[in-house]
Amino acid sequence: MAPYLNALAGSVTAISQDGEDATREFVRQMDIRFPVERDPGFEISKKFGVVTVPTLYVVDDQDRVVRAEPGFDKAALNEIAAMLGHGPVASPYDGAPASKPGCSSRHLEAHTEDASAEALDLHSKRGRTASVIEVDEDAVEYCYRVFGDALPVVPPTVERVEAMIGGLDPREVIARIPPCYGEATVEKLAANAVMAGCEPKMMRVLIPLMRAIADERFNAHGVQATTHFAAPLIVVNGPVRAELGFHSRQNAFSNVARANSTLGRALQLVLLNIGGARPTGIDMSALGNPGKFSYCIAENEEENPWEPLHVTEGLTKDQSAVTLFAAEAPHGVSEHKSRTARGVLKAIAYSLATVWSYRACLTFEAIVVLCPEHVRTIHRDGFSKKDVREFLFENTGVPLRCYEEPGEGVEQRTMYKEIFIDGERCYQKFRAPESIKIVVAGGTAGKFSAVLGSWSTGPRGSQMVTYPV
Amino acid sequence: MRIVNPMNESAVSATDATPRLGTLVGKTVALLDISKPGGSVFLDRIEQRLRAEHGVAQVIREMKPTFAKPAPAEVLQRIRGADAVIEALAD
Repeated sequence: MAPYLNALAGSVTAISQDGEDATREFVRQMDIRFPVERDPGFEISKKFGVVTVPTLYVVDDQDRVVRAEPGFDKAALNEIAAMLGHGPVASPYDGAPASKPGCSSRHLEAHTEDASAEALDLHSKRGRTASVIEVDEDAVEYCYRVFGDALPVVPPTVERVEAMIGGLDPREVIARIPPCYGEATVEKLAANAVMAGCEPKMMRVLIPLMRAIADERFNAHGVQATTHFAAPLIVVNGPVRAELGFHSRQNAFSNVARANSTLGRALQLVLLNIGGARPTGIDMSALGNPGKFSYCIAENEEENPWEPLHVTEGLTKDQSAVTLFAAEAPHGVSEHKSRTARGVLKAIAYSLATVWSYRACLTFEAIVVLCPEHVRTIHRDGFSKKDVREFLFENTGVPLRCYEEPGEGVEQRTMYKEIFIDGERCYQKFRAPESIKIVVAGGTAGKFSAVLGSWSTGPRGSQMVTYPV
Repeated sequence: MRIVNPMNESAVSATDATPRLGTLVGKTVALLDISKPGGSVFLDRIEQRLRAEHGVAQVIREMKPTFAKPAPAEVLQRIRGADAVIEALAD
């Protein structure tokens, strides 16, 4: 929020609910160029009736509030900038989310009555130095038992962690990791990256990945606690693939490259050790997902005749990016007989109809990972990426005859849209063509693509997020 | 060997549980539906019994917009004044 408000500096006064030191540090860290006043007894907060922080108030000449905007919202910021006679201050593709809900105002939190805001210090950008543990036993065994993902890890020795941190500020807080909102300082991230087997150069990808996982739109809080199968799938795009050795060809989903395997594992170890979602505790998944060891692919942009995923999501081709999608395990689609785009895409549509549960429609999304051989057949018939999405959208449905028995998806039929697919009355599976995401990956031999179902999606579930690296 | 602690070490502020109510007679009870299927069926019955059998004076019904996320500040604010809260968690 602060960098955008700097552009409106002459018209903005901020009220901080933090203590004096934390406020001063925050102003320094964020390079805030407008006046910031403190609210020690929360008198100002109470006067305005603040429920959510941050909340933006637009006040007129008579000190009347003419607009109140809780949380962070780029569209609202731009509207407020326009009210003040400025042009837009928040670009849609600067790497920050479009919107983010706020937190409860401090004066409404039960424990603030006997604890100072200073002691809680939830908004500081500088965290604590990690403690050092003296291990007398075998360090691999100790780390495996206390910090591991049920596989041995590389012990995060002081020397290895220092090498991973390099020239970065070890105490900088990159994100607070749901569901327990642990403080992910550079030092803590580096310790988990060491354990995962990352090379130090991976920090340049891990840091934006942490901003993505903490993005409220992705809702890691829900993804990490649900009884569903979902696990955060990382898709890597752009020049960083070649620079760091991300593999996008044969065995794209498996044990083929250190970069893919260790970045995926580092994310999982961070979620366990900093986020607190342990698979015997808060992570309640009924069956889990093998991706919870590591779930990271890179797009095979060289075999993709269309724009890659990060470009579809608003970045440019020469940028590098990480995308997160709360995904089920890949479901393979074999299609070796069809010689047309239609034939290949029909085979994929039949699998797409089964995501979540065959008869459930509308509230789910899917990633289709197209193998290069299928891509060539589809592209040869003149299909653009948009055509592929629209064809899959129009051809994925569930016949009405399947709804005679009660069960999941049946009661919601009144909300479904009836369409005809090859002359048969069906309910349309997805809400929009955009619900189907297209990624190209895999080796050049083998006509095997894959469909990955989602968790609950949209603003009430988990939304895919793309961050520049 | 000296290793860097990779676990979360940020301070957690503990809050004591609210003392149990001695009686429900004349109290205000909030029923929070997390919006999972079936939650309202369960809470309708609870509301009926709280009023008929336990002398509860007022029942506040609130609903989270989605079970997939924590309750927004506005919802918490609306149940803040209740003497007790019952939350319907799952399907």
